[in-house]
Formats: sequence, C-alpha cells, structure tokens
Amino acid sequence: MSTAFTARVDAALADRTLKIAIDRTTGTARSKRAAAVAAWPHFQQARALGRDIKAHVTANLAHYLAEFERNAIASGAQVHWARNAEEACEIVIGLCRQAGARSVTRAKSMLGEEIGLPHALAEAGIERVETDLAEHIVQLAGDTPSHIVWPALHKTREQVGELFRANHADPGALASVEAMVGSARRQLRAKFMAADVGISGANFLIADTGAICTVTNEGNAELTTTPPRVHIVTAGIEKLVPSLSHAMSLLRLLVRSATGAELTQYTTFHCGPKRAGDADGPQAFHIVLVDNGRSKMLTDGLAEMLSCLRCGACLNHCVVYRHIGGHAYGGTYPGPMGSVLTPVLDGLETSNDLPKACTLNGQCQEVCPVMIPLPTLLRGWRDRSWREGLEPATVRGAVWAWRLMVMRPGLYRLATRIAVPMMRLFARRGWIAAMPLAGGWTRHRDFPAPARQTFMDQIRQQRGQS
Amino acid sequence: MTDARSAIFAAIATPSRPPADIARAASALLARVPALRPDRVGDDVAAAFFARVTGPAIGASGAKVASLSDVPGAVGAYLAAHDLAARVAVQPHPALLDLPWRDIVAHRDIAVDEPVAIGIADYAVAETGSLVFRSGAHTPTLFAFLPLHHIVVVRADGVMAWLEDCAAAESRLPAPRNLNLVTGASGTTDIEGALVRGAHGPGYLHVILVQSPL
Repeated sequence: MSTAFTARVDAALADRTLKIAIDRTTGTARSKRAAAVAAWPHFQQARALGRDIKAHVTANLAHYLAEFERNAIASGAQVHWARNAEEACEIVIGLCRQAGARSVTRAKSMLGEEIGLPHALAEAGIERVETDLAEHIVQLAGDTPSHIVWPALHKTREQVGELFRANHADPGALASVEAMVGSARRQLRAKFMAADVGISGANFLIADTGAICTVTNEGNAELTTTPPRVHIVTAGIEKLVPSLSHAMSLLRLLVRSATGAELTQYTTFHCGPKRAGDADGPQAFHIVLVDNGRSKMLTDGLAEMLSCLRCGACLNHCVVYRHIGGHAYGGTYPGPMGSVLTPVLDGLETSNDLPKACTLNGQCQEVCPVMIPLPTLLRGWRDRSWREGLEPATVRGAVWAWRLMVMRPGLYRLATRIAVPMMRLFARRGWIAAMPLAGGWTRHRDFPAPARQTFMDQIRQQRGQS
Repeated sequence: MTDARSAIFAAIATPSRPPADIARAASALLARVPALRPDRVGDDVAAAFFARVTGPAIGASGAKVASLSDVPGAVGAYLAAHDLAARVAVQPHPALLDLPWRDIVAHRDIAVDEPVAIGIADYAVAETGSLVFRSGAHTPTLFAFLPLHHIVVVRADGVMAWLEDCAAAESRLPAPRNLNLVTGASGTTDIEGALVRGAHGPGYLHVILVQSPL
C-alpha cells in the first residue's frame, strides 16, 4: 500500500467523530433500504430487468446516443460533446461567459465533481452557489464530498451548526437540525432567483424524447434550473435509457436502493428550453455529453460498470467504507464503485491500492440494484496491476518465493513441518500474540496457534492406523 | 467540438444492428415489467393514490371533496386549521381562477417566499402517490417549488395506476419543458440522515381529491 493511501486511512481510523457520522447515516440508509426491498416480492426479478435494460443500452450505445442527440436538438436543446474533463469544463465555462454569467447555481452532480467543475468556475471568477444542502455544507467547509448521495455525511450536526453560524446572514439559534435546514433555506432563496445560469447533472437521458431526468428530495434542482436564463446539463454518455418507460423501471430500483423511499419527492424530466407561452423556464438549454474514460471502459472489460445508477448502496454496505469514510479513497467516487472507477479516471499507477482495499465479501454486488459484479471488476484491476508491473518489489519477491515452494511439494512439506512447531513456541492458550515477521498481523489481533502437526502428517497417520 | 463528437462515436462503435431489431429488444424488456412491479394499486386507483399520498411514508395531508366548486371551502378549512392568513397564490389555470374564492384573497403571481399557493395537478399516479405537473402557460414550474404550503387539487378520474401509465400518456403528448412528478413535501436527510421537511421546496403538501369529473 502506498504511504499516501495508508496515511489517509490512518487519519480516518483515528477520527472518532467521523465514525459516529458514518454510522448514523449509513445505518439509517441500510435499514430503510432493507425495509423497501422486503416490501417488494419481485425485487430480484426487477434487479435482473434493471441489469438487462442497462446492458441493452451499453450494447447499443451509439444508436441511443445518436437518437438522444437528434431528439434533444429537435426539442430546442443545444448538444455539446466532450472527450475529457478539460473539454467539458471549457464548454461549460464558455457557455457561462456567453451568457454573461456572474452567478451560477448548481444542483448536485457527481459528474460535475468528476470533471472538476467547481474548481473551473472558481478559476473563471464566476460565483458558484451549491444548492443541495449537503453540497452547500461542503462548499462552506472548503471540503469535497465523501459520499455520492450524502456528500456531507462526514459532518456532524455540531460541525454544521458552526459552519452556518460563521457563514449565514440570518442563522438564528441553530438549536436543531430543523433550524439548520431553515437557515440554509433563507440563505439560498434569493440566490436561486438571482442566478444567471443553472447547472445540473442528469440521472437519465431519455433517448426517444431528448429529455433529461433529475431526482432530488429537496426541490433544489428545479429551483436551480427554472429561474435562470440558461440551464446547462453535464451528463456522462452512459446515462441513456431507450424511453420514459424504461426510466420508470430504473427509478423504482434507484430510489429504493439509495434512500429506501419508493420515489424521490421530486422527479423531473427536462425537455428543451421554455416553450412559447410558458409561464417560466430558461431561454436556453444546453446538454454537455461527457466521455471522460467511459468509451474506454467498453473495451477494457469494464462495460458492466457503465450500468451504475450512482445509488450509493454499495458504499453503505461496504465494511471498508464504513470504517474509513469517503475521503480516504482519494478519488471523486468512494467505496466499491469508486474503487472500480478511480483507476479509470486517475490511472491505475496512482490508485492500485483501492482495488486491494477490499475484503471481497461480495456485499456490494448483493445490494447493487443492477447486479454489477463489483468484486469481479475489482479482481480484474488487481490482476492488471500485477501484469503491468505496478506491484512493489517486496510483494513480487514474496509471491515469487511462494510460487517456488508450492510447485515443489517436498520442499513445501519440509518447510511447514519446521514452521508449525516453531510457531507453537510463541503460542499461549491457543493464540499467538506476537511473533517475529508477523507484526503486521499481531499488532492489531492475535493469530490462532496451528495444530500440533501439519495437515499432511495427520492424514498420513490416520491412514496408517486404519 | 465536432472532433470530439466523431471521436466519441468512433470509440463506441459497435457492429451496426438494424434499428427495428433494437426497438424489438427494447420493448421485449418492457414486457417483463407488469409481472414484477410491487403490487400496491388494486381496483380503486383513486383510493389507492389518496391512501398512499396521505400515508406515513409520504406524509402529505389530504381532503376529499365532491366537486371543484367545493375547493375554496376546503382551502379555507386548511388555512383556518393552520392559522394562515386568507391570502393565497393561485396557479393561473382556468379551472382554479374561475372558482368563487369569496373571502380568500387570490392572486396570480407567486412570490419568492409565498406562504401558501394552490395548484392543480394534470394527473396523479397511484403506485407512488405522485402528483404530475406538465409545465406550460397555465402551469408555471415554480408554483410547485416556491410556496411553504402547497395545496394541490387533483381529480379522481385523473389518477393512473402505474408509472408506466404516466409514460404511456406522455408518449401521446408533445413533451413539456418540465414534467414534474411531486411525491410529498420537500425534505432532506443531509445532516446526519435525519429527515427534515421544507428543505428548499414546500414544507407542507395538502392534496384535495375532487371526486366528480371536472
């Protein structure tokens, strides 16, 4: 493991408040999801359908992308294409400048984080107002999201209260979570109406209409995309579905898996700009379609990962995420899905620790609403890290020595016959608390003492007796 | 830009398949839906909708009235019960504007901090307890998002059973700028997972189900 990753993990494990914050939110999410799933007898068949819908889209990606573009243009939208993060930011900043934008409201979008849009807007000198409550907290703290559904999961209510007291014009007493939400509502209300441009992501792109779908519980997406003159959408090219009907099947899975609700409070399909005669809505509607490594995933054995709905269930159920939280992963996307995506986005050289920071217990795959085989994809990265020579010399040496031994049964038996009694010298009451070369294990837990004899010796004895 | 487009299409190119085959595969997927939906609608879809939207999961309040002309009375009762001033923003929809509002002061323009607005949903979905608004001249999107109390009229014969029925209905109509499915009052669980109502959108949702056709 690299020192940077280990240092982040050590810091996270030593942070007591973080563990409390993670437990509070992920615990609620797990129990609410479990109740929603238990109330749906055909959940497993529905997951299989979700998987098949996304696989169908991935298999016909060019067809649906062309159809979406055609229909979006026909609805009055302007469609832009970006190969990577830099191109995507350049397009968005260009559109903001063209609109003479001084202030931009943003509805939470993980793609926006992935391409570094917050930073690009700051560099361009454009005021950025995050409108999702959690993103607002993250912005005030000068922080980054630590969960894809609850970006401020790492903050306790006390920490949020301090931030609001220091930054809000009219914070009031902030004695309860209700009061904090009320303070954010007052703080952001005028900002919604004053923005020149509203930027959102998209949970789905509907191929047969050219509409894009946003889901929120706060109502901040619609308040972001309706008052400004311009609405800009940034979306990954994998977000397609053939039709509104297909989107409905995936919405049932997405929302239950994310929050345990049956549908988010606000599910909105945005199609084109304001129509002639419409009472409100933006005059211009831009959709920026972003590749940023996705087309490469198709050919790199990661096509199944393009089905990801970004529900966050794999994070909430991951034993590693629940101990270290999102920041320790060091990428835009944390948890199991993040450990698959970060090597694509940041390169395997700098992120090959992530696929290894996993017990392969398979919980993520079990809860994934579209049955993505996350453990298989993580093993694929481990394999590739080995083949590309990214593993350190110590690891390569140890595996080389192991291979040498196991390919020579006589040598292996001799070595174990020597090792077993040696290990028993360190055992007290069946457990080894400390032993040379085993510090990595015994520093945190005891090691069980081995049996008196090796397995092979025991077998031989039993056969000799019978 | 055009370069980016062609580069992306080149990178995702797959052996071309006749569009009719792709369409057939897409509809075969949808044919599996009716057998696996969570069965929670029953025969009386309007009753199922009302029970769902006022149930504990969504938590809206509700009232049933016989006809549209009973709506001002139901609104007055809600205002009195919540100790609110008799002044409401009325969605500029003919069905609402023409009602006899009497002692309730009705205005058409919604303020950024409007205390109470009354709107009318185009239809509703029983499966999820959702109200559906199609934006347009009579339906400003912001009407469903700016008020603190949102009172919504929906007619019983406008309740559909499933989300797929909503999709089918929309496929027969020109798409509006916004199709909003509203399922309860605004809420957030962003601070420690605790649910708090009234995050940015309405803090209270009140549904008035009109039993007779409009």
